Amino acid sequence: MSKEQYLPLTHEAIRILKKNGCWSRHWSKIVVSKGFDPTRIAGTIFRGEVRIGRLDGHFIPKDGIRRYAGIFDANLHNVTIGDNCHISNINGWLSNLNIENNVLIENVGSIVCQGETSFGNGHSIEVLNEGGGRELKITEVTSAQTAYLTTLYRHDTALVKALNTIAENYATSVRSDRATIGEGTIIFHCQNIINVKVGKGAVLRGVQNLKEGSIASALDASTFVGDGVIAKDFIIQKGAHISDGAILHGSLIGEGSKIGKQFSAENTVLFSNSEGFHSEVCSIFGGPYTVTHHRSTLLIAGMFSFFNAGSGTNQSNHMYKLGPLHQGILERGCKTGSSSYLMWPSRVGAFSAIVGKHYANFDTSDFPFSYVNEDGGKSTLVPGMNFFTVGTMRDGLKWPTRDQRTNIDKLDQIIFNVLSPYTGQKMIKGQATLLELYASAERSQEYVSHQGILIKRLLLKTCSRYYRMALEKYFGDVLVARLANEAYTNFESFWASKPESTDGHEPWVDISGLLCSKPRVDTLLEAIKAGQILDMTTLQAEFEKIHSNYTTDEWSWVLQTLPAVFGFDASKISVDDLRAVLEKWKISSIKLLNMVEMDAAKEFEGNVRIGFGIDGYQDQDFDAVRGDFETNTFKQQLDEMRQQIHSDLDQSLNILNKY
Amino acid sequence: MSTLDRIKNVAVELLKIEADRVQETSRFVEDLGADSMQSIELVAAFEEEFDIEMDEDAALAVKTVIDAVKFIDKVLAEG
Repeated sequence: MSKEQYLPLTHEAIRILKKNGCWSRHWSKIVVSKGFDPTRIAGTIFRGEVRIGRLDGHFIPKDGIRRYAGIFDANLHNVTIGDNCHISNINGWLSNLNIENNVLIENVGSIVCQGETSFGNGHSIEVLNEGGGRELKITEVTSAQTAYLTTLYRHDTALVKALNTIAENYATSVRSDRATIGEGTIIFHCQNIINVKVGKGAVLRGVQNLKEGSIASALDASTFVGDGVIAKDFIIQKGAHISDGAILHGSLIGEGSKIGKQFSAENTVLFSNSEGFHSEVCSIFGGPYTVTHHRSTLLIAGMFSFFNAGSGTNQSNHMYKLGPLHQGILERGCKTGSSSYLMWPSRVGAFSAIVGKHYANFDTSDFPFSYVNEDGGKSTLVPGMNFFTVGTMRDGLKWPTRDQRTNIDKLDQIIFNVLSPYTGQKMIKGQATLLELYASAERSQEYVSHQGILIKRLLLKTCSRYYRMALEKYFGDVLVARLANEAYTNFESFWASKPESTDGHEPWVDISGLLCSKPRVDTLLEAIKAGQILDMTTLQAEFEKIHSNYTTDEWSWVLQTLPAVFGFDASKISVDDLRAVLEKWKISSIKLLNMVEMDAAKEFEGNVRIGFGIDGYQDQDFDAVRGDFETNTFKQQLDEMRQQIHSDLDQSLNILNKY
Repeated sequence: MSTLDRIKNVAVELLKIEADRVQETSRFVEDLGADSMQSIELVAAFEEEFDIEMDEDAALAVKTVIDAVKFIDKVLAEG
């Protein structure tokens, strides 16, 4: 409501307010909307300029008790209150606030804005490297992609400067000496909230202390901040759920994330769909789906995404020399086993499982889908093996189904695919490296050493075949989908679908959830540095554009790469070549399912039955609790996938036969 | 040396067990103590010993020494 639409209090209204126990030194500074009902206000002290909207509606919150719009037992100082708000039991003050329509504030200490603030926007945090050097200015619209470029591309000072300017501009745009509490928000049983901006439809219940922050929220993506939460210099994005004594300090919690059970975060970003319970995180770059659930787990100075931390997971970023300067990267899809330890710096390839304690510094980024094991104190690698495990397959299937974001304006741009040009290019390189290592190794060697980690010589050829199988499956997957979804009339039109631009060419990168070709990123970076992108909205639109081009760019990469991988002449690929791709795809896909099934079957065999049937009837007890493998849902899913492979092959060959 | 003897030798060396523990009916996992990683290494070691390439999924499905003999003999016969 504009200032002009408010009316001064009538003498009759002032009389009723006084009668209801209200007090003001300057009643003239209180203005109200047309139809204002003074009987809806009691026991309230007014200081400074106060604007009040219509108070004629009511709420029925989840507790089922109807609250009538009105102001009861409150202390108001320089506040604007929208229509149909219920404010009661304010022990301290509501000060310097713009409270939008339909807001309920009940039984709180103080909600105040003290001086000018950007509400946590533009606050600089030491992410990834605890000792500094990768500072990130967090804002309520910072995406995982923006944060990635700012944090990781420090070699490009012009870029980082430009990105920081964009973040600062956003912080300036929200800078104010009044905090907004968005429409439909409910705040109750909270203590002190200082310099905090709250979006629409948020619920704050039992919060202990919030200072200098933004709680982004929307009517289609309500954000919850609950019991005992303490946060300072923070950003909470839409749809997040923070509860149960969580402590946030200099941290950003992404859209749809869940934080609670005394989890603590410092100098950390945890982007969309992350989960943090019990554990501690410090200076981590948590990309989308970074998950840590266990009390004894510490994540420090690392970059993660699509990550699951086992209990007691730990890392060191400090060697007691020049300070906590070390950092590590676990590429997307990694998981750590219970009590695993990594001494930074190390970098682990995508979708790898880390088991044991690792005191070596290694780089396995060219070996995705690997096991990183400890063998007698030595760090060892089994490349490619994790592609054929039930865990990786289940992860790949579950992530897209667990996207908790309900807002349409999602910030983080995510490509969920496990197999992609990103992992594809790594496997091509990894496969070649393994064969080179095999060729140069002596037969008497038990291990070969590569990039700081040991690989069993015996497994070099086997693991290179794992990558080969995974590549054959991936290229076939793309080809099958392409044939099914695009109406090519003949081979010429099929081949002509190869994009002419180099947008999809290598290398491919994982911009914290957004898989894309580096040429495309480079184009964006140049635009940022040239001053063509000056605000967060435009930057976000650019990331969305890259995201929407994934399928086209992937196709470009597949067509560019396929001849070399399958040994075809790139200048004259034929229909027969494509048939050969499909045949190999079928064989490798079925092998994958067979190996995954064998891995899953282990969950039903031999020693896993230990502990069942405590006083006898082991098998019966096991069957009652776990069921049998043949009727297991996942096993049935695998059977369906096998059938699908055969029908996809038939369909694809039929299409090719018409060319 | 027979296929069986060569398989026994590989198993003894890789699993670091006494030779007399390896019988035709021995199961690699339950009787000889091969864990999942050693199972993969056994397949790789058999491939190297016999200079063959085996289907990963079929080879890993082999449970006993005698089945390994049959499997490898079949691969060798198929050339």
